[in-house]
Amino acid sequence: MKKKRILVAMSGGVDSSLAAALLIDNGFDVIGATMKTFCYSENKGPSKTCCGLEGITDARHVSEVLGIPHYVFDVEEDFTTNVIDDFVSEYAVGRTPNPCVRCNSNTKFPDLLEKGRLMGCDGVASGHYVRITDRTGLGPFLSRGSDLKKDQSYFLWDLPKTMLPFLHFPLGNLDKDTVRKKARELKLITADKPESQEICFVPSGNYRDLLERKLPALHPSLQPGPLVTLTGDIVGTHEGFASYTVGQRKGLGGGRNDVFYVVEIRPNTREVVIGTKEQCFHPALEIGNLNWLDEEPESGSTLGVQIRYGASDVPATVRTTGKSMILEFKTPQRAISPGQSAVLFSGNQVLGGGRIQSALDGDELSVRT
Amino acid sequence: MESIYLDHAASTPIRSEVKQAMDQAYSEDIGNPASQHLWGRRANIQLEESRQKIAIALGVDRGEIYFVRGGTESNNLAILGSVQLELQRGRVPRVITSEIEHKAVLEASTHSIKQKGSITLLPVDPKGRLNLRGLKASLKNNATIISVMAVNNETGICLPIQEIAEIAQSYGVPMHTDAVQACGKIPINLSKIPASFLSLSGHKICGPKGTGILFVRKGNTLAPLIFGGGQEGGLRPGTPDVVGAVGISTALDLCIQEQQAEHTRLTELRDTLENQLTSGISDLKIHGHGEFRAPHILNVGIPDLDGETLLANLDMEGICVSSGSACTSGSNKRSHVLKAIYGESDTTAVIRFSFGLSTNMNDIHSATEATKSVILRMRKQLD
Repeated sequence: MKKKRILVAMSGGVDSSLAAALLIDNGFDVIGATMKTFCYSENKGPSKTCCGLEGITDARHVSEVLGIPHYVFDVEEDFTTNVIDDFVSEYAVGRTPNPCVRCNSNTKFPDLLEKGRLMGCDGVASGHYVRITDRTGLGPFLSRGSDLKKDQSYFLWDLPKTMLPFLHFPLGNLDKDTVRKKARELKLITADKPESQEICFVPSGNYRDLLERKLPALHPSLQPGPLVTLTGDIVGTHEGFASYTVGQRKGLGGGRNDVFYVVEIRPNTREVVIGTKEQCFHPALEIGNLNWLDEEPESGSTLGVQIRYGASDVPATVRTTGKSMILEFKTPQRAISPGQSAVLFSGNQVLGGGRIQSALDGDELSVRT
Repeated sequence: MESIYLDHAASTPIRSEVKQAMDQAYSEDIGNPASQHLWGRRANIQLEESRQKIAIALGVDRGEIYFVRGGTESNNLAILGSVQLELQRGRVPRVITSEIEHKAVLEASTHSIKQKGSITLLPVDPKGRLNLRGLKASLKNNATIISVMAVNNETGICLPIQEIAEIAQSYGVPMHTDAVQACGKIPINLSKIPASFLSLSGHKICGPKGTGILFVRKGNTLAPLIFGGGQEGGLRPGTPDVVGAVGISTALDLCIQEQQAEHTRLTELRDTLENQLTSGISDLKIHGHGEFRAPHILNVGIPDLDGETLLANLDMEGICVSSGSACTSGSNKRSHVLKAIYGESDTTAVIRFSFGLSTNMNDIHSATEATKSVILRMRKQLD
């Protein structure tokens, strides 16, 4: 029988390296691919991130060692429009984007599937810590990786549902230590490569530089503005609301030791609102840009909601459905940041999710539902 | 897997005569050619005999040949060495070049802007011909150097370097030519072409990688870009790669001897592939068609097809080709050369086939079959 052919996304990190190795072990005809997402020559200096030039070199090396072909696909244009421009425009309106979510659903997986199809592939794979499980008759569904510390389902809720039958995640049942151990056994040069922490197109970790390059010089989000309390007192100035995220600690300077947190960003008035830790808690949120990997949850149903990467999901009840959805938490949640993803779970299964539009307080909740 | 290598414009396999000569040189007890003792003298003999061999092959003087470490370095030294000299003389450097040069020339020329200089890019017309009307105007007012390649590395199109060199000479502007792709493929007669500088690379002519030559015609000066012990007349310091010099000189000597016969043979291979592909793929476009081209490159365009997966599919069939210049990351970005000539749309897939010493007619037939079947298969996927 002809082997099934799989195109595996290889970033040059240990996870995708081992994913490729495991697929070979499982009898697939494997082809490695690295997406070149942005122009390296514009980013002078060493690029240590996963998809940098070093990543491409390492992915090629691993592929050669594993005896599989490897190709580089230039998705720079798509990546710029779908990911970087979105990243910039979200910060410009006071929200905090999840570029990896955008990349997976708009660039990485769609482009890989398209390329794979032209190369006679039956599916595509990546080194994400998530699982695809098949339910007879009901189609495949996506669930958390068994290593909950590494689980990356938060970044995949926005994939088109139609893609699920073509996806393979060989690391879904493994934990990170096992992955490294197996990679060492196979003598893969990426076995002990450090985890990539930063956003790939912001290797310095300072996204403000990128915003200053991409936005007009006098853009409101980059201009100083008032730092206010919830009662409207002006207590200082900030350096442009694009530098803030809801929930972030914010000192007032001038020798004051009180710790405050960003509770809200108001782009229209350029105000950054600060408050106490308690004032960061909200009982509900509204999400938009919805996407479902299973049936859309019905109003009144209770499910798990995860509002940031690395956090657990917490119980919430669906209050309204439609183009956007209001979810009420069983207990109020801290730092609900507009722009971040809210991912909905039933147990470990990803139902889908949306982008957080706003946190709602008790009054807003009763008016809206 | 068996493979057919049709990417000789990217790099060529070392030929046996070169390997033999290099093995022989490696087996001898040679030291640093600058040393005064026996081992130093032995190394120096190898180096200078290699230089002599190159000078004879190119019909120039031994003192005009400088060993450098590759084509890129050679191009950089000619352009930035001129720019540096101009700066030392307290003048503002101005580099003239064409928009279809290799990156080694384009980037070096662009770098001169950072050194307070400027750059003039000569445009090409839709046939890939350099527009010479703007040339004379650009040469006025103390241009520092003009650099135009002899053969374009992507399309194989030959540029009129003799004419350009003569015009440049009449304006007193030194001319550099990147002859990396021309060497051994078309005749380069330095007694007729009044170029001041010429660059060659070893690994494009079945010699070793990391070797290159810069020809500097007597009476021309360049400022060095690196500093050290004064080797190569102070222009390229550093202990010379003696065995590399043996390798590149052997390769150059042979390829120039064989140039005429190879031209005939490669032309037949190229024309056969061109005809077979054209008759098999009705909408195939030949880039540089009807132009005077070097015989070892065939660049074709296939409308509405993804170039990256086309090359990947061909590789999986064992056909090693490229879309043009090999970029560091291995990706196939739309080529600046084709953009300059055709304003090519994104939906055209490009294949550059390039042939060399080891290519034979069987390779051409296999490549034709594989290319036709891959394109047919991909188009079926698209339906």
